[in-house]
Order: sequence, then C-alpha cells, then structure tokens
Amino acid sequence: MVRSALSRTTVYILLSLGAVLMLLPFVWMISTSLKAPNEVMAMPPVWVPTEWKFENFTEAMKVAPFDRYFINSVIVTLVSTIGELLTTILAAYAFSRLNFYGRDIVFAILLGTMMVPSEVLLIPNFVTLSNLGWVDTYSALIVPWTASVFAIFLLRQYFLGIPKELSFAAKVDGCSEFKFLWYVMAPLAKPALITVALLKVINSWNAFLWPIIVTNSQELRTLPVGLSAFTTEAGIKYELLMAASSMVIFPMLILFFIMQKYIVAGVARTGLKG
Amino acid sequence: MMDKPTWNSTLKAFLYLLPALLILIVFNIYPIIKSFLMSFYTEYDFYNDIVYKYGLSNFSDILNDPNFIKAVINTTVFVIGVVPISIITSLAIAVMLNSKVKGLSFFRTIYFLPFVTSVVAVAIVWSWIFHSDYGLLNYFLGWFGIDPIQWLTDPTYSMPALIILSVWKGLGFNIIIFLAGLQNINRQYYLAAQVDGASAWHRFLSVTLPLLSPTMFFISIISIINAFKVFDEIFALFNGTAGPANSTLTVVYYVYQKFYEEWEFGLASAAAFVLFIIVFLFTLIQLSLGKKFVHYQ
Amino acid sequence: MDVRIENVTMEFQNTVAVNSLSTTIRNGEMVSLLGPSGCGKSTTLMLLAGLYKPTCGNIYFGEKNVTNIDAEKREIGMVFQNYALYPHLSVLKNIMFPLRMQKVPKREAKDRAMEMARLVQIGHLVDRKPGQLSGGQQQRVAIARALVKKPNLLLLDEPLSNLDARLRLEMREEIRRIQQEVGITAIFVTHDQEEALSISDRVMLMKDGVLQQDSIPQEMYRKPINSFAAAFIGNPPINFLLARKTEQAGNYELVNSSQIIKLPGYLNQQKIQIGLRPENLFLTDKDNALLTGEVIHLETIGRDTLIRVQIEDVTIRALIDPSIPINVGDQCHLGIEQDHVHYFDTENGSNLERGNSYDGQANMEQYA
Repeated sequence: MVRSALSRTTVYILLSLGAVLMLLPFVWMISTSLKAPNEVMAMPPVWVPTEWKFENFTEAMKVAPFDRYFINSVIVTLVSTIGELLTTILAAYAFSRLNFYGRDIVFAILLGTMMVPSEVLLIPNFVTLSNLGWVDTYSALIVPWTASVFAIFLLRQYFLGIPKELSFAAKVDGCSEFKFLWYVMAPLAKPALITVALLKVINSWNAFLWPIIVTNSQELRTLPVGLSAFTTEAGIKYELLMAASSMVIFPMLILFFIMQKYIVAGVARTGLKG
Repeated sequence: MMDKPTWNSTLKAFLYLLPALLILIVFNIYPIIKSFLMSFYTEYDFYNDIVYKYGLSNFSDILNDPNFIKAVINTTVFVIGVVPISIITSLAIAVMLNSKVKGLSFFRTIYFLPFVTSVVAVAIVWSWIFHSDYGLLNYFLGWFGIDPIQWLTDPTYSMPALIILSVWKGLGFNIIIFLAGLQNINRQYYLAAQVDGASAWHRFLSVTLPLLSPTMFFISIISIINAFKVFDEIFALFNGTAGPANSTLTVVYYVYQKFYEEWEFGLASAAAFVLFIIVFLFTLIQLSLGKKFVHYQ
Repeated sequence: MDVRIENVTMEFQNTVAVNSLSTTIRNGEMVSLLGPSGCGKSTTLMLLAGLYKPTCGNIYFGEKNVTNIDAEKREIGMVFQNYALYPHLSVLKNIMFPLRMQKVPKREAKDRAMEMARLVQIGHLVDRKPGQLSGGQQQRVAIARALVKKPNLLLLDEPLSNLDARLRLEMREEIRRIQQEVGITAIFVTHDQEEALSISDRVMLMKDGVLQQDSIPQEMYRKPINSFAAAFIGNPPINFLLARKTEQAGNYELVNSSQIIKLPGYLNQQKIQIGLRPENLFLTDKDNALLTGEVIHLETIGRDTLIRVQIEDVTIRALIDPSIPINVGDQCHLGIEQDHVHYFDTENGSNLERGNSYDGQANMEQYA
C-alpha cells in the first residue's frame, strides 16, 4: 500500500509538472501582454506585472487593425462552417439513405482524395481562383472550404446508425424526404454535427497558409495572417506581440472550454476510426 | 427507400450531392489531376494559362537542387525528432491519466489546450520564449549553468527549437486518442493478468501495449504525415524565413518558396508531387498494415 | 373506406415476396395478416402504406386507385414494430408531427394531439421524451401518432412483438378497444396466431407470398383450408398422421403403425394425411377409441393436462381433462368427434373434407 501510494504521488507530480509546462507559454503570453516595456526585458523575469498595462491591447490595435482582422476571421469561419454543414448534411444523406448508380464509386473517389495533402492542391487552386478573378476576395477564403470529405464521411456513418423505420414513419406521417432530413435526421445527428462544426471552426480560425496565399490586401487579412504581418509591423515590442497573440488565441480557448466535451469526443472518434 | 437504383433515384441523389460535389470537384479532385500535370510544365505562362512545353526537367531540376535535397533531409530530421518523442511522451501521460487519477478532465483540458490554438500565435509566443537574451528557456537553462543559446539564429539550434514547439503543440491530440484507445481495452484483461501475478510494468508490456497497437499505429502514421507537412510553425517562428541559413527549410516550405516567392509553378508542383508520393506511401502502409492490426483485438 | 387489393405482386431481386394477392378489406374491419417470417405479410403492409410500389397489380382505397401514390399522400396511419418514435421530440411533439406536416395550425394541432394522447391514456406523459417511456407507453404514443390525423386506414406492423408477455395481452386489448372506438379500418401484421385470432375480425394467412386462407378466426381454426393452415393455427400444434387405404372399404391403416382407423366413405385417396387437434382428443373406452397407445409423457399446464401417447412408431399429443387419473406407462384410448377430424391430401396438403372445396375468396363472401 505504501508503494502504491508513493507511485500515486509520483504520478500526480509528473502530471502536474507536465501541466505546468503546457500552461507556461500561455501564462507567459498573458503576463508579457500586460507588462510595461521595462519589465518585459527584465532579467530575472517578472511573473506578475507590477502595473497591469491593459493599454497594450489598445496600443496593438493602433498599430494594426485587429478589429478588422477579427471581423474577417469571424466572417470566414462562420460562413465556411455553415456552408460545410449544409453541403455535408445533403451529401451524407444521399450516401447513407439513397441508392443510386455510381454511389460506391463516387464515395470511394471522395475517400481517396483524403489521402492527398492539401498543400498539393495549393498551386492549382490558386490558378483556378485567379482565373475566376477571386484572388484577394472573401470568396477565395471561404468557398473552397465549404465542403469536406471527412465531414461527409463522419456524418454518413452517423446517419447509417439511425433506424430506417424512422424514415418510413415520417413518410406515413406525410413528411417529404427533404423535410425528413431537415426535421428528423439533422436534429438527431446533432452530436455529430456539433463535432464537425467545432473541428471546422478551429481549423478555419487558425488557417494560415491558404489565407496568406490568396489575399494580399490588409482589409482581407484574417487574424493569423494579420498577426504574422504584425511581427514586422510591431518591431521588437514583445508586449504588443503577446497582446496580439492573445487576441488570436482567446476566442478558441473560450470555445474549447465551453464545448470541450464535443471537441474531445470528435478527436477521439477520428482515432478509433483509423 | 433502399430500393434498387433507378435513373430517378440517381438524379435525386446527385441533386443532394450537387453542392458538395461541385466544391469538391473544383477544389479537390481537379487540382489533384492538375497538380500532377503541372509538375510536367517546363515552360508555362501563368497569366495566360498557356503551356509551351512539357517535360520531366522539373523533377530533374529539383532533384539537382541542393535546397530541395536539404529540404528533404530537414523534413526527415524533423520527423525523426518529433514523432518518437511525441508518441512516447503522450503515451506515458495517457497511461498515467488512465490510472484512475482524480482531476482527469482537468489535466486533459490543459494538455489539449495547444491543439485548439493558432499555430502562428503560439509560434510567436514560443519565439519570445526562445529569445536568446530575455527568453524564459535560456533563463531556466541558466539555473543549470548552461550559457544562453541562440535558439532562433544559430542553425544548430533552430531545428531543436522547431521540434520543441511541435511536440508541445501536438501532445494533446495524441493523448486524447491514446486515452480513447486505452479506455477501449477491456478491463478483464488486466484482471486476468493481475490474477496471473503480472506486475504493473508487465501488465503494461503484455496487455496494454499489444492491445494498444492499432491506436499506436494510427498515431504514428498520422504524426509522420503531419510532420511531413510542417509549415506554419516555421513561418511564424522564424519570421517568414526558413530559419537561419535555411536550417529549417522543409518540403512544404520549399514548395511555398518556389511557388509564392519565385513564381516557379512547375518546380513547385513537382516538389508538391514528391510530397504527395511520400504521404501516399505512408497512407498505403497505414491502410494495408492497419487492416492486419485491426483484427488484433 | 374499403381497401381493395387486386392481383398485387411484389418482386425483389430474385424473390417473389407477394404473389398475385387479391382481397378486399371492408370499412371498419380489423384484419390480421398472419404467417411465418418471410411469408410476405410485412411486404403487403408496406405496399398498402405506399412505402413499396408493387411490381404489378392495383390497390384501391375506396374507388381511388392509389397504386402509384406515395406514402406521404395516402392518408394512412402506421405503427411500427420498434415504434419508430422521433427520439429528439417530446411525446406531444411526436403526436403533433403528422399534423404539423399537414400544416395544421399549432394550437389546433396541440389540442388534437392532447385529445389523442388522452384516448390512448398517456395524457400525463406528453412532456417526456420517448426514451423515458416504457415499451407499452411508447406503443401508445405510436398509436396516437398514427391516429391523430384521422387516417382512413391504420396499419400495424408486429406492434406487440417487442413487449413482454403480460403487456402484450394488455396492449392487444387496448388496440382493439381504440380501433373500435375510432371505428377505423385496420390491418395488423403478426406472426403470432393467438394474437391474430383474438384481435381481428378476419385473418389472412400467408405463406411464401401466397394467400393461403382468408376467413374469420373461428373458421380458420375449425376449417383449415390446408395442412399448412392447420399446422400454423393452434397451440399445442395439431397432430398429423399418415394413413394408407386398406382392402376393406373405409378402413385406413396408420403408417408406421398397424392400427386400423375408419374414415368417411367419400374419401377415396390411396394415402391420406389426418389432422387431429390435441384439444379435440379425449380419453374414452376401447370401443369408442380412434387410437390406442401408451402414455410416455405427462405434464399439467394450468387447467389442462398434456399427454404424449406413443402408438408404435408415432407420437401424438392430447390435451385431456386433468380430473381423470392417468400415469406414464398406462395404456390409453383416445377418441375424437368425427367432425373434428381433418383430412388432407398428401400431395398438395389441401383439405379433403366434403364442403371444404372452397377457395379463400369464396369463403370470404360466405360470411360477409
């Protein structure tokens, strides 16, 4: 018993140590973002600012239009998430409930595309967008990301688990197929839809390589792109950089704390599928 | 509903599929083919989308480009550096979390935090931590008598810095998946092993590891594939460069340079194609071996 | 509203699930579709619902040909084996669902749903989710949902098979009560003969997609049209004996046994299958006996005593009066009323009894 109590303690110590290491960058970011310039560069480091400089945030916003970046990120994230949900619900319904010529082939081709890293698609997609005249527009940031094979696959699996009798019952109740999808299937698949939506929101909010390639103008920058540009704009003012980083990170942290259950479940499911 | 397919049902199904298919064909399927073709464009006018010449010279060019070779080597070093450390650490943490500790969800939340955050933002935070004069890391190392290290400006240390950041960022994802795998193992195996007199360490070796092998395998492949595609971290950590003296130039970064900085579409496509082949091979390994492992349990 | 089925055939890939089925179901009637699994009874129900479209044949609701009308426009109510309630909706919303689909205003839909909930006695449960209800309660919700839009026809697909024995009995009576109270035409699919015989005005027995017999329950029991119907109806199952004609007129010899039995003169088959229901057999003396054998097994179930009697190589079951003392090993003589004996053709199984040469359709007319 003594031994197991001892190893128990070791486990807690190790886990706590790990937790501190995981949290440290966030703590340091917040701490720095609230410091006066002289304390930023202090050695040994000052952990708690003597004076809390919330002005750093307004200062950062003066250097670069983070409010604008924020709105852009919200627009891009919301629209592409809603778009993806709509295309996914429709496609998953077809793959799970309708029998049609070529169903298995089309599905197999779509699954096959999941093997291709998105970086490979970058160049031709850029060419396509410039042919469409979409470079440096919201469309370029949003439209290519309004459908996802992964999401279709996940939702299809979920739909397959919904008993077929429900659709019979709905038909007899006078419900058309489209209404059935809308009023019965989609609400029933809420857990799967929330997971899909949250993973999408996280990816979309944090996306970087695609937005820097398809946008040039400052008005269209999303938060990560704006932040990256800010590193040169702010010079070596780390308190401003950390304030700006906080603005990018916080919305996702808040979302995570609220919706943790669904995000964790979604990630765990991707693992068990493989 | 699940009647035989008819032309009618096919028409209806494709109406349902139309929005998704339209997007996926234009932005997923067509570019795959196009990317493959573009890697053979040796003379190409991007502005008018005219190809003057096809050939294999893009491939021979990048294979003869010392920078590309360097990118491949760097990427390999990065993969070898990140994947084992990340897997061993996350497995250890997952096993500890699975041993009925109090505050499981509290710890899980903390370890998972980096997963939801922007790579660019955390890379900037880490570049501050890596700061040679005022950075936290050098400050802590100072406690052990280690002289300040030029993490971000010395080519020797830029790769380790990148690896530290990547391990930190990816740990939570692996832990969650390992935890799901561990919780999937039937407790009876442990009880049986315990009755048979196996120690905790033996139980880990003879029960946990073999039964966890499908999960382990999945994580390894996903980690390798993701590590091959590293880009955002580098861009943000080294301020829009590929590290001091190209010391963290990776394959995707090479693609980015050729494509976005040098406007060499053919070369960039050829390099992207090489990346695709690498990732594809690992995916194939995953699929073929994965099938074998799944029957394991 | 009468429901008329005319030569309806339903083929799946390679199987004929329903083969040229014809019948008419009268307004207000409760009809059971009975048969073993795979006999086509559920397919028939799906065809009536419009969830399947027949390969050929026609279905009429009243004068209207509904063969090609979709389920959502047939104005029918249906109850499923697993109830198929919408798990995300409350009981009230479940019952309101068909009305909302008809764009009935919310207030009115709610009032009608409540009224229906009270009829099926779940008025106090309307705010719950289906998952919080017992099987019997879910069944009531399903019935309410099926009836709320005042359909012309109620279809029930094995509605009782997911319930435990006690509840099944209770719900069986409930369904009958509600059906009669509403006065709706109802079609009830079941594989349980007891259920079918007890609940319905008329039973349609099916096998391999073919309608075997279509008659009132008592008729099906007393005058099975063929050996299949005889075997399917009745519990414990009917005894079948094979008999061969002997030299002497009217005398038949049991196969695998040397006993001679006398049969009516109009039977003129070389071989004949005889059906004796266990409950029709009784103990008697040697002179009145049809069969004689040794009791090899005896058990008392409730108010009956079931014995198994060995007649050389043949075993038969009989339900006898428990007040008569009898033991395993005793010789016993079994008698039966002459008109309780069923005779079947050994080739096609048809009933050979005089006056039984009707077909299902004719029989239906006979009682109607």
